[in-house]
Amino acid sequence: MSRIFVTGMGCISAIGNSVTENRRALIAGTCGIGPLELFPTRYASLLPFGEVKITNTLLQEKLQAREPGLTRTTLLALHAMEEAIQNAALNSQQLNSFDTALIGASTVGGMCLTDELYHDANKTENGSAYLSSYDCASVNIYLQKRYAVNGVINTINTACSSSANAILYGARLIKNGLAERAIVGGVDSLAKFTINGFNALHILSPDKCTPFDEQRKGLNLGEGAAFLVLEKEEGAAGKRIYAELTGYCNSNDAFHPSSLSDEGDGPYLSMKGALDKAGISPDAVSFINAHGTGTENNDLTESRAMLRLFDDVPAFASTKGNTGHTLGAAGAIEAVYSILNLAHQEVYGGLNFNQPIAATGLKPVQAYVKKSLQHVMSNSFGFGGNCTSLVFSKTSS
Amino acid sequence: MFYIHQSSCISAQQTFANADINRLLEAVDNKLLVKEPSYDGIPTGILRRMGKAIRIGVGTALPLLRSSADPVAGIIIGTADGGMEDCIKFLNQIIDYDEGMLTPTNFVQSTTNAIAAQIGLLSANKSYNITHVHRGLAFENALLDADMLVKENATASYLVGGVDEISTYNYNIEHLGGWYKKEPIAATGLYSSGTIGSIAGEGAAMFIVNAVKANALCKVTGMHMLHTEDKQVVSEQMKLFLDKHLPVAEQVDLLLTGENGDSRLLHYYTQCEAVLNKQATVARFKHMTGEYASASAAALWLVTKILKDQDLPAHMIKYASTKTAYNRVLIYNTQKGKQHSFILAERTNLK
Repeated sequence: MSRIFVTGMGCISAIGNSVTENRRALIAGTCGIGPLELFPTRYASLLPFGEVKITNTLLQEKLQAREPGLTRTTLLALHAMEEAIQNAALNSQQLNSFDTALIGASTVGGMCLTDELYHDANKTENGSAYLSSYDCASVNIYLQKRYAVNGVINTINTACSSSANAILYGARLIKNGLAERAIVGGVDSLAKFTINGFNALHILSPDKCTPFDEQRKGLNLGEGAAFLVLEKEEGAAGKRIYAELTGYCNSNDAFHPSSLSDEGDGPYLSMKGALDKAGISPDAVSFINAHGTGTENNDLTESRAMLRLFDDVPAFASTKGNTGHTLGAAGAIEAVYSILNLAHQEVYGGLNFNQPIAATGLKPVQAYVKKSLQHVMSNSFGFGGNCTSLVFSKTSS
Repeated sequence: MFYIHQSSCISAQQTFANADINRLLEAVDNKLLVKEPSYDGIPTGILRRMGKAIRIGVGTALPLLRSSADPVAGIIIGTADGGMEDCIKFLNQIIDYDEGMLTPTNFVQSTTNAIAAQIGLLSANKSYNITHVHRGLAFENALLDADMLVKENATASYLVGGVDEISTYNYNIEHLGGWYKKEPIAATGLYSSGTIGSIAGEGAAMFIVNAVKANALCKVTGMHMLHTEDKQVVSEQMKLFLDKHLPVAEQVDLLLTGENGDSRLLHYYTQCEAVLNKQATVARFKHMTGEYASASAAALWLVTKILKDQDLPAHMIKYASTKTAYNRVLIYNTQKGKQHSFILAERTNLK
């Protein structure tokens, strides 16, 4: 089976509008979490968020995307996909090929337009311009049409692991001979739906999140998008190769609709499965970009699962302190960060950490450091017990 | 692709227990609502908290999982919207209570992945678990995923299914969009209405699939998806699909289409019928299930039954060919003339 190489990346988040800007912010330890400036909600001044500080109007102008019915979710995705395509130098012939797949992921889709949706769902006349924009698929259906991508097109929603599964699905399409290349990623924008949902579950922190800290108070919601271009070894010849996707695994915790089991069965199984797929032993992992949301449940469970799997837990940290939790985009954004780790042989420190969780004693990396890295794991765990781990590896060239 | 070993379906027809598809059950108020069973084996307390999409998804999946010899190695669900009723209930609370303190139940139930998650939870299955949500191709992507899984692990079985519900809210949204008929319509008069829009539907269909031929109900031999609004492209792709997947000198005996009474979409279906040049019998199913994004899952359930029983209900037939046996069946469906799919299935007890 073919090897899978990453030949392009695009990313937009609260800490930058491009991969380069994101890397610069990660090196500097920039926190993009703070008061809302653009998104209207009664929690705007009460809770901190990882907001992308670009208006929809500006995004529409920059991207020349003025069709009626476009949502912020679609605009953020378009921004990241455009960068990834440019970065991989895919031409229109390649984009239009029946061998090019486009796999996206989102949990909110067009439901960021809460007030319009409220109107359309409860009225029987005067529909808005957004009638076909609310579902998760609306994002990728727009991207497919805009770029005339003709291979397998799909949208995945496995809650907070959605875009990690988009990456996994694209890789498997290539491995199974169903695509030569796959544009894979995910997006979510801030929405009253998720803000109020997570708030009702009492897992939003009133302060900036503190992943893996004993005193952590919950997560901060963020928004953003990221896409990768995956190509099989043959197609990537002569191109800049950022990393190889060597391992991936999806497993389910099968414990509770909105929290993980005490021993972290799902996280343990997804991490172990990804290592098995990559054909490497636990001690070969150089660094883990942890899911690390800053909630009581996730950080304890993920730590326990790491302690179960690794005799010596490798260096790890969470970038949620930089970006907030971007839900369906998180897996793809953090895949970009993991690939940057490998491509530049560097690790970005987790922010706001003071005190290890008493039950585990694990300390994340807390400052930028150059480090020799061979294999980097990226974890994404979601509601419904949906756990997915990816392993990216340094290519020899 | 793979063999289907078990199947189940909850629909507006009598498809779940003592299935009888010859007797057509009518629509009420332009909606073909599912006939829900008593859900034996799901604890009442859990059942009460479930929205309809989760109930019918879990209700079709669990009996198959219980009677499967080994635990499945993956749960793969296609659904465009998941639990839409809970989703909008929560949304309405957000607006009505101006983002006040809300209860999270509707929120947790409304995440699109909750159907697959509940199936995993209730069957204590920790393996691969995924939800494909690509609107009219959500179920087709679930089939493609299952195809890859069966190739990746030839000894395992997988649960694959499609689920969507009519909620008050997505009914309103689709109605505003002009996708349901404005005039009262009987399911039996769906195809002769000549007006725009279709009839609302919902349903769940589940399948246990693997690479083993022995004792299979039927085999899915190919599936193809495309995004286009050009009917010429659709028929060209159909020809290429058949060239690739039909054995040499074999023909399609039955074409089952998603014709839905919407005058704007009829030309896609007649274009595909023309490709087969009256050599295959043509049948329709949306008068039984109504229109919904994952209706092709119900179509595959019907095809599984037709291939096994060799009995095609008269009310489904649009055009009867001279064919006396149904050995190979092609399903063609389009979602709003933008997303299209072909699924080819064949009998496994062919000589």
